Amino acid sequence: MLDIEIDGKTLQVPEGSTVMDAAHQAGTYIPHFCYHKKLSIAANCRMCLVQVEKAPKPMPACATPVTNGMKVFTHSELAINAQKGVMEFLLINHPLDCPICDQGGECQLQDLSAGYGGGASRYQEEKRVVVNKNLGPLVSTDMTRCIHCTRCVRFTQEIAGLMELGQAYRGEHAEIMPFVEQTVASELSGNIIDLCPVGALTSKPFRFSARSWEMARRKSVSPHDGLGSNLIVQTKHDRVLRVLPLENEAVNECWLSDKDRFSYEALNSAERLTQPMLKQDGKWINASWQQALDYVAHAFKDIAKDHGAAALGALTAPQATLEELFLTQKLLRGLGSGNVDSRLRQSDFALDGKLGGAPWLGMKIAEINALDRALVVGSFLRKDQPLLAQRLRQAAKRGCQVSLIHSADDDTLVKIFAKSIVAPSQLPGLLAQVVKSAAEQKGATVDAELAKVSVTPEAQKIAASLVSGTNAAILLGNFAQQHAQAATLHALAQQLAKITGAKFGYLGEAANSVGAYVAKAVPQAGGLNAAQILASPLKGYLLLQAEPELDCANPQQTLAALQKAATVVVMSPFKLASTLEYADVLLPVAPFTETSGTFINTEGRVQSFNAVVKPLGDTRPGWKVLRVLGNLLGLPGFEQNSSEEVRAEALAGQPEFVADRLNNQANGVVLNLSLSAAGLERVSDVPIYFADALVRRAPSLQKSLDAKQPRARMNAATLAKLGVAAGKQVKVKQGSGVAQMTAELDAGLPDNCVRVAAGHVLTAGLGAMQGTLTVEPM
Amino acid sequence: MLSQETLKKIDREIAKYPADQKQSAVMAALALAQEEKGWLAQETIACVAEYLGMAPMAAYEVATFYNMYDLAPVGKYKLTVCTNLPCALSGGVHVADYLKQKLGVDFNETTADGMFTLKEGECLGVCGDAPVMLVNNRRLCSYMATEEIDKLLAELKS
Amino acid sequence: MGAMKEFLNSLLLKELFQGLVVTGRYMFARKITIQYPEEKTPQSNRFRGLHALRRYPNGEERCIACKLCEAVCPALAITIESGERDDGSRRTTRYDIDLTKCIFCGYCEEACPVDAIVLTREFEYHGEVRGDLYYTKQMLLAVGERNEAQIAKDREQDAPYR
Repeated sequence: MLDIEIDGKTLQVPEGSTVMDAAHQAGTYIPHFCYHKKLSIAANCRMCLVQVEKAPKPMPACATPVTNGMKVFTHSELAINAQKGVMEFLLINHPLDCPICDQGGECQLQDLSAGYGGGASRYQEEKRVVVNKNLGPLVSTDMTRCIHCTRCVRFTQEIAGLMELGQAYRGEHAEIMPFVEQTVASELSGNIIDLCPVGALTSKPFRFSARSWEMARRKSVSPHDGLGSNLIVQTKHDRVLRVLPLENEAVNECWLSDKDRFSYEALNSAERLTQPMLKQDGKWINASWQQALDYVAHAFKDIAKDHGAAALGALTAPQATLEELFLTQKLLRGLGSGNVDSRLRQSDFALDGKLGGAPWLGMKIAEINALDRALVVGSFLRKDQPLLAQRLRQAAKRGCQVSLIHSADDDTLVKIFAKSIVAPSQLPGLLAQVVKSAAEQKGATVDAELAKVSVTPEAQKIAASLVSGTNAAILLGNFAQQHAQAATLHALAQQLAKITGAKFGYLGEAANSVGAYVAKAVPQAGGLNAAQILASPLKGYLLLQAEPELDCANPQQTLAALQKAATVVVMSPFKLASTLEYADVLLPVAPFTETSGTFINTEGRVQSFNAVVKPLGDTRPGWKVLRVLGNLLGLPGFEQNSSEEVRAEALAGQPEFVADRLNNQANGVVLNLSLSAAGLERVSDVPIYFADALVRRAPSLQKSLDAKQPRARMNAATLAKLGVAAGKQVKVKQGSGVAQMTAELDAGLPDNCVRVAAGHVLTAGLGAMQGTLTVEPM
Repeated sequence: MLSQETLKKIDREIAKYPADQKQSAVMAALALAQEEKGWLAQETIACVAEYLGMAPMAAYEVATFYNMYDLAPVGKYKLTVCTNLPCALSGGVHVADYLKQKLGVDFNETTADGMFTLKEGECLGVCGDAPVMLVNNRRLCSYMATEEIDKLLAELKS
Repeated sequence: MGAMKEFLNSLLLKELFQGLVVTGRYMFARKITIQYPEEKTPQSNRFRGLHALRRYPNGEERCIACKLCEAVCPALAITIESGERDDGSRRTTRYDIDLTKCIFCGYCEEACPVDAIVLTREFEYHGEVRGDLYYTKQMLLAVGERNEAQIAKDREQDAPYR
């Protein structure tokens, strides 16, 4: 520990601290622009100059390490003069037109110039003008305002993983720009808006729509990936205008992924359903809640009477709140049917009944940063969990060896130690090799089936890396969870974790994937799982927040089942054109901003939130609708008066973590390694901006590069074998469905694999996400 | 994109630095690429960056920072006249004006025959010899007077 | 004694005559009554009457939707919605002043960085229902257009003191 005196206040700081850190600890504010606690130190704005005893000149607080007995004066005449001088220089080229700047009211330069700026400028000469840059549909630029703090450059380099922005030219001609007119394609690009201390980088969707002081700030939780980022939702006149990160070091730090940040645009979409609707004689008519709910209650009662309760089933999106999930399963089970599931994209359910609890991350989110070895199995890491990937990136930078086993070689922007890319059918075999190799290296024994596999050098390298670590983790990504042999992958990963002493976890697919297990919105003994619910067409379906033709593993089968059903009740904030064909009742339920609720994120953290705006039109919170429906059906246990009561019932109390319900250990899984796929295997990702109902309707996200139309991607060998040229139209056939799309070369794919995205209207006619398909040239 | 020969030369530069810090060779690599291509197109810079395993933007930053890298095509001979203070005091500006008049081009322009490009340069570190001029980043010409310039141009033209 | 004096004063109508003296004095004094509406009192160039939104001489709206007037308004009489116009500039999509709330303090004019919202000399306006006194952007621009000459003259006169 070092002693330091700041403005007469003495304190002790750890070795290696800077004066800025010490001032922060002492509660003294030192003005700054380029310094940011999460980024490297650049010391190029010079705003934080302070006087240090015995130093001949003022020193930048952010870059000056504390030495023992140092005396610092942050408000001495020398320091203040230095800061005022810097401010005068900064304002030389900065436009003084705050009234038309979108940053006005929340601008660090504006705030600090009130304290350190002059009343009038002494600068009479010409000001410089910088041409605006095109940074894509999310970030708007006003480059003349830039003060070259390079926070955005350091962010893209250090946090987002790829230096997409840089400072070109020098001196007065210096400009922040992307390389060529490439737009910033990072899935974390929105953060540069927050980082920019001036109005050079601002939000494009929000542009000029409101001032910071006229919006209400409400806390909320992101309804997208398994991380559960904490949000500040800013609203005005009952409309969500902007979403900002709420700092939570244990979850999202101070970052947000673009889908968390910009998905709010969907809340004002024209596709919002605002009134209950009934289909009568093939025509849709608006109805009152009373009519609609009576209709649903009668329909469900009739089906239960005529066909038995088991002819009813519920499919819930894993993005629904805990309260909605809990009441849905209670409703179904109250009627006598156990057919409820929220794992819509899963195709292998062999783990059901064998798992010890809800599958989760296997550790705290913050522990990812401290890992020294990690193996990621089957994950489009960056696109599936952008901020978890960011933590892994930081870990890799610190020296963590991250290995990857996957079926596509997308750039993770994480420094990868070893990777092996194989066809989906080979994935279990590959993981088995790693298990065997690790067992050999550790001297552990494996059962006969595993002993048979022959280990490739890559698998051995991955195993050696895991074995050599002291704090390792094996993480199953979305692709592994949706894999046709998910149970085998799980069992192998579990075994590998046991052998190597690593942690074993799931990278949670959706905001409430864990919550669905906790709320029991997954089938228990006797109930049908998602695949079975759709495979054996039932008579009545309840769809909660889900758009099954896009959200389910096998859209073809899903549509067929729903079209055959007698009654399909859709509870959703949106109406999808294809939903109108098979649905019988549409009930408008609130999205996350219009209802109170709870999400349990992938580390088991229970995060509750309140509604931030009034429900749109006749929309009602989902839990209220389900509660009333329970009453109308005459079921016991539907007397809750608030979502808190529902939560208390679902969680038996108010825990911060649901640690006792989480368990990744599965017993008695039969390994299934002998797989050979005939024909072309489908590798399907769920593109980041097609993953759920909200992002699909956010116009700005839909304009970004990640939202381009799915293509049939193959490697050169596969293209040649099929006689298809990249860039040409092809017919992709799977089951009874055909999709016409452009062929594209993707050198990272294994042979005989075609990558076709799921979750998109274009591919919604195809069959299962895991399977084989055929490709024909047009 | 770059010839094997240039890549071999770049490899030699890379060998001067630790194996995990290949990008330290970026300045030398860009210079070699410019030697081969005559100037640095975006694609050339991207190619160098890829070869060195760095972000293209990082290489672009370097290429735009130093004025010896040409980001647009130049003539056969690039004449860089120093106009920094010591040279300016010793007549550097007149040298530039004379060249402009003689070649019929302004700064950053190339003569119609593609022979000469005139550039305004920064200090070349030999202020004692002011005014100075640089030909093709390699050849330094000291004490430039009008006769000297005529001689030089005649020599280059032949 | 006092009672006697009071009796005489009231008997001789002293207070009446005192009053008549005042009346008589004003009868011959210079008349200051204004025959409104035929005649009007002079107004200061800082007169705070009906609001107007101004345009530049080339017809471009001055208002840039900075929302400072909305923020400073003590009566919360101003409602602004803003957005990006086709040419990329920041403009209001709605600018309403509720005159029933307005207290004519003039802060909006003080706050405006581009002299867009001003208080004119116009004060003879009325509304037959409350809604008539809810002025929208188009109405305010119209007020500005019909008073522009006077507004410009007044601002120029006041310029040395601002």
